[in-house]
Amino acid sequence: MLRRGFQVAGRLSQHRVLPGVPQVLPRLILTSTFGSSTDSLVSRFCLEKTGLKDYALPNASWCPDMLSLYHELQEKTKTDGWVKLPSFKSNRDHIQGLKLPLGLAVPSDERDWRIFTRCIQVEGQGYEYVIFFHPSKKKSICLFQPGPYLEGAPGFAHGGSLAAMMDETFSKTAYLAGQGLLTVSLSIRFKHLIPVGSLAVLNVDVEKIEDQKVYMSCIAQSRDQQTVYAKCSGVFLQLQLENESPQ
Amino acid sequence: MLRSGALRLCPPGALRGPRGSASPPARESRPPPRSFASEAIRVDLSLPNPSWSKDMRLLFDQFMKKTEDGSWKRLPSYKYVSPQSTEVKTFFPDAKPVKGADMPQAQLFPRSLEEGRGFEYAMFHNHVENRTVCIFQGGPYLQGASGFLHGGAIATMMDSTLGACALRAGGVAMTANLNINFRRPIPLCSVVVINSQLDKVEGRKLFVSCNVQSVDGKTLHSEATSLFVKLNPKKV
Repeated sequence: MLRRGFQVAGRLSQHRVLPGVPQVLPRLILTSTFGSSTDSLVSRFCLEKTGLKDYALPNASWCPDMLSLYHELQEKTKTDGWVKLPSFKSNRDHIQGLKLPLGLAVPSDERDWRIFTRCIQVEGQGYEYVIFFHPSKKKSICLFQPGPYLEGAPGFAHGGSLAAMMDETFSKTAYLAGQGLLTVSLSIRFKHLIPVGSLAVLNVDVEKIEDQKVYMSCIAQSRDQQTVYAKCSGVFLQLQLENESPQ
Repeated sequence: MLRSGALRLCPPGALRGPRGSASPPARESRPPPRSFASEAIRVDLSLPNPSWSKDMRLLFDQFMKKTEDGSWKRLPSYKYVSPQSTEVKTFFPDAKPVKGADMPQAQLFPRSLEEGRGFEYAMFHNHVENRTVCIFQGGPYLQGASGFLHGGAIATMMDSTLGACALRAGGVAMTANLNINFRRPIPLCSVVVINSQLDKVEGRKLFVSCNVQSVDGKTLHSEATSLFVKLNPKKV
């Protein structure tokens, strides 16, 4: 239930506007086309005390490289303007009170849904990852450790799992940098295989935002940058989320 | 780790799957044997199961009819890539099961989720036309934007289908490039058809492309072009 301002996520029902939210707020967000600033998108995305489990936190399966780089980046969230993004089980949890624009929203039973990159919840078996975003530089860093359930060639991560991790990092970056919502295209050049259980660092940059599209590039490499796993460019379509109608 | 006496009787691989799922899988109903279960490895998952929707079953039957004259072949699909297979030994001589484990810890990614939750698919290949068709039903754990399939899940299935086509045409190959254009989002839990074909071969390069369509053929969801490179046994 409502505790303070608009910062509380009403997780009891995803289809009710948070009670007590001032009516002016929804209009504020919809004022101009894609007028939401990155800062307001980030603060709404990174709500604290949602009561939801944040999967983007260290656990026993994280390799030493991943842990140490995580701590380095955590330090930078205090000094250099980086933000650690929370990661919930369903994408619905990230946009509480909002929905896809009319014509795209699909009403159905959502209880069972999981965002693809959190499909395997056993620690260390599937996707272990955390994304750090820099609002003013419009960059992201994703630390990704593929588990044994993501195998393609024996001992190595399936190409599709890296494609999905890149798409997911693009997705969060595009949303926060410019309300990018749906993937328009992905163009991946695979260079080397990622051994299962090792760390891949994905660096994402927003190249430009024009014609209602967010253009990004990504390099996935080893921590020491000696091995490039893949390079990718992605384009996302900007779409304004709508407020869910009050009950 | 529960092997025998598990509350839910299920194939060994599934014991490591996500906890707390609702329904037990219908496939096996006896306690898993303790030793390296070759049976579990060889369970062909490209066959109908209770999670398949009506659309999926209809499509499957249509394609099975096509296999009757020998031009089309259904491709089997397993949960594990056995480290003992000749192909693996040739190209990945260092691959071995995780030490101490009785059965492989790893699972082929598109087969690592529980029945009905993730990727449900079956592939058919036409060796005359060098075409591979994959019928695919994406489950609730493949969510992207609310209510739709994740772009990465579609990419995974396209990569798998293109890879199967390349494999049949030229032997073991790895994805070098993958370029996908997404046109219309795919609703979660719906069925799509991925049509892939070999376009061209240049030495060790295999050019394969595919498109993803709705069951009725009226909606083009996405298209992709790709480059696969045949592996050199000495090099990997």
